[in-house]
Amino acid sequence: MDIMFRTIVSTATRTAAAAKTHHKGLPASETPKTVQPPTKSPPRNHLFVRVDPYGFERPQDFDYESHEEMMSEYLAVLRRRSVKWSKLLHGNVKVEKNIKVKRYVRKGVPKEHRAQIWMAASGAQEQLEKHPGYYHSLLKNKHNAKLEETIRLDMHRTFPDNVLFRSSSESCLQTALYNVLLAYGHHNNDVGYCQGMNFIAGYLIIITKDEEKSFWLMDALLGRILPDYYTAAMMGLKTDQEVLGELLKVKVPAVWHLMQQHNVMWSLVVSRWFICLFIDVLPVETVLRIWDCLFYEGSKILFRVALTLIRHHQALLLQAQNLPDVCERFKQITHGEFVEDCHTFMQKIFLEPGSLSMASVRKLRQTCRDRIVAEEAALRP
Amino acid sequence: MSETYDFLFKFLVIGNAGTGKSCLLHQFIEKRFKEDSNHTIGVEFGSKIISVVNKFVKLQIWDTAGQERFRSVTRSYYRGAAGALLVYDITSRETYNALTNWLTDARMLASQNIVIILCGNKKDLDADREVTFLEASRFAQENELMFLETSALTGENVEEAFVQCARKILNKIESELDPERMGSGIQYGDAALRQLRSPRRAQAQSAQECGC
Repeated sequence: MDIMFRTIVSTATRTAAAAKTHHKGLPASETPKTVQPPTKSPPRNHLFVRVDPYGFERPQDFDYESHEEMMSEYLAVLRRRSVKWSKLLHGNVKVEKNIKVKRYVRKGVPKEHRAQIWMAASGAQEQLEKHPGYYHSLLKNKHNAKLEETIRLDMHRTFPDNVLFRSSSESCLQTALYNVLLAYGHHNNDVGYCQGMNFIAGYLIIITKDEEKSFWLMDALLGRILPDYYTAAMMGLKTDQEVLGELLKVKVPAVWHLMQQHNVMWSLVVSRWFICLFIDVLPVETVLRIWDCLFYEGSKILFRVALTLIRHHQALLLQAQNLPDVCERFKQITHGEFVEDCHTFMQKIFLEPGSLSMASVRKLRQTCRDRIVAEEAALRP
Repeated sequence: MSETYDFLFKFLVIGNAGTGKSCLLHQFIEKRFKEDSNHTIGVEFGSKIISVVNKFVKLQIWDTAGQERFRSVTRSYYRGAAGALLVYDITSRETYNALTNWLTDARMLASQNIVIILCGNKKDLDADREVTFLEASRFAQENELMFLETSALTGENVEEAFVQCARKILNKIESELDPERMGSGIQYGDAALRQLRSPRRAQAQSAQECGC
């Protein structure tokens, strides 16, 4: 697995500071032997330029010019952040919750520290240390055949556009993905396996390069950070879709009216956003920056992202003439420069939607949940 | 951008996970097999104009996620569907056994007059077949469904499935079905031919509930 990573990790994202700590925490055998010197811009016509640093093939219509332009600025940011993070951490694995770290997280966790920060901030590290061997014992126990089959059905349908997940690739991550999902399904019987979890586990494996860490991060996300999105009734998902609607009613009323006018249910346009935590919706780097905040600050961040996307593209959305048009435009707003430039986008999500307190989100969740429960009860014969 | 058609039908594609619903839709619209794609989350959407018995019909097709728990989300889209492709995989008895559940949902939640065509997909994998043609056609007959075995891979019977379903709906419009009934899943198009019904009725179209 590591060979593949070493080959495809773009030299462009490595920096002098990053190189020193790169792959820190991995077993010695996995540590890259050679450290590449930092480069200022992505190499042109590089063999692997068609594949991004995470193994995803770039789409046919990928705009290399504007990507390079964006990256040349972003790399300077990454270098600066990397130095700052190295100073902040200097070997320390504990991540405190304070204003300074929060600011640091919002400005982006460097790739080389990402696994460590996610583990520490989410409490996954603590759980892993408290339960040594638990993950492997889940895999050794007898498995639920139905669960196995459901997971297996999605193996070839998880990131077929990623070279690391291709069954033809010699370092295929499908086994790791299967193991993490199977272990989690047995660990949390209420959830088992829900489509969407495969994408989440996939990203975790790409970032941590470690099954056990990915498992505990899943546990943190699904068990503590997110509401019950993936349980059989999907109540948390239904609730948060309605909460987004309520927030828009106040913050972007014109779009709220548009949705009413065309009779568009929120689930139609945003269920993917919540279920996949923006995977396969927004560009990879942008998703990872969102997840930095998700692990550190919690699920509120998902509303910030959704509100920013919608508010920023209000004019475009309001031109929609009918329901399919609304759907199409909701897809359009997740592409393009605005979301590709992840650093600026992440600054925007804390400015554009205005204030959003956890207390008000909690209150809205309660109201919406009560409403849905009442509606569903009324529908039952 | 202007599209001319006589009718617009809302269609659903339903059935268990992994039966090839999205691939059928992709084959129908793009005329090729969709290789290597992520599975559907929630609902996806596609549309195509076809010509059936001298009429241009725009199909607006809602492709749904097949996993059981997504049903509580996807069921909300059933309302007002005029037609549906009910898909199972001929190499998986489990997907065939689930048909009754899907059928109950569709009949209960979509339009009363919904026209459903049963599609036994993955016809190309005949060697691994677990459901015979005869058995499925009996089931179709008992439940008043049209029936075809399809292959999203080769394209066999894919277009036919959509067209046959649309043709049956058109026939129904000529005989008993009133497109202007609330939730019929049918709208008049811009072609304004509307010879099937009296012109007087066409005026009512703006009052229709469905904005799709």
